Amino acid sequence: MELSKRSLVIFCLGWLVSLVLLSYVAGYYYMEFQKEAHLGREYEDMYNELVQNYTSLLNDHLTLIQQYESEKQNLTELLGKYGSCIMRVNVCIDYKEWNATVVWYNDTIVPLGCDVLQATKIVTIMNYTFWPAYQASFVDAINGVWNRGACFWMWYRWDNKTKTWKYGEAGADRYKLTNGEIIRWRYEIPSYL
Amino acid sequence: MHCKHVALLTVMASLCIGIQLIPRPPNVESTSLICFLVGFLFGASFGAFLGALTMFINGFLSLWGFAGTIMPFQILGMALMGFMGGVYRKSLGGSVSISKILNLEVSFLAAFFTLIYDIITNIGWAVPSNTPVIAALIAGTWFTIVHVVSNTVLFGAAFFGLVRIVANLLGEDTWSYQKGV
Repeated sequence: MELSKRSLVIFCLGWLVSLVLLSYVAGYYYMEFQKEAHLGREYEDMYNELVQNYTSLLNDHLTLIQQYESEKQNLTELLGKYGSCIMRVNVCIDYKEWNATVVWYNDTIVPLGCDVLQATKIVTIMNYTFWPAYQASFVDAINGVWNRGACFWMWYRWDNKTKTWKYGEAGADRYKLTNGEIIRWRYEIPSYL
Repeated sequence: MHCKHVALLTVMASLCIGIQLIPRPPNVESTSLICFLVGFLFGASFGAFLGALTMFINGFLSLWGFAGTIMPFQILGMALMGFMGGVYRKSLGGSVSISKILNLEVSFLAAFFTLIYDIITNIGWAVPSNTPVIAALIAGTWFTIVHVVSNTVLFGAAFFGLVRIVANLLGEDTWSYQKGV
């Protein structure tokens, strides 16, 4: 089979096409390689920076732990020193009519002779009004939940004899707590209403 | 141009556009084949005109959206494809029998002119968008390869078969269609 001059020229063109396509592929992979190499360098820099930051954070963390341990030791010593001047009480905040959640603050350390209002102020943010006529304070809000409509903050104490909650007999700042006593604040519609 | 040829041009352009608008893998197309075939059968200028007209209409109706600044380059590329069909027909002379060598020839020509088409259209995309031409060519490597390979296979498998079918339809001798156009 003899090839004409035309056929030879066309086959040469075909060969040229394959060469061009090969060079395209080579160029494509070269560009991809360059891109990957650049990204590799970028990631390496980021990794080194991350390691530096992490090491620095780790050192800070260790320093903080040391400070914490030292403070804890100081506080433990202070607690031992003033152990006879404190007592522990349990405070419950029951948001019944607001969102029905209940939060306990157990073993709250309070000064000896502390009243319900002071103990509650230690664990919450309270708003209250002192009424000179009654020589007692009336609680308006606990942790941003305000008395509204028929709903009020009422306080109870746990009666160990009857194993029931008893309504507070006096204003919260008129009742002195004893060691281990359990009190509860409840956002409710009072039963007497 | 004779009204018969206007009608033929319209039908072929509609066929090309119709095929162009059918959902298909990117860069797999048969417009090149039809333009080259028309150029081969009815003359270089007729093929070039069909290629240009097809890409002009396709520029507005394409599934990929309006062609924009790339349209003149597509027109140029496809016109070249149709034109080269006529040139190839002329280079074959009057009495050539269809053979495997001719099938290979047409495949290789398809590969070459598809590559030229892709280079032209890539330049048409790169220049207005201020992209280096080499980078644009390399970025389109896989599209170019798909285009070249699909056209090579399509031309090799279908070109002379279509020539024979059209010849039978027109009831004329395979190598006599250029007369009178």
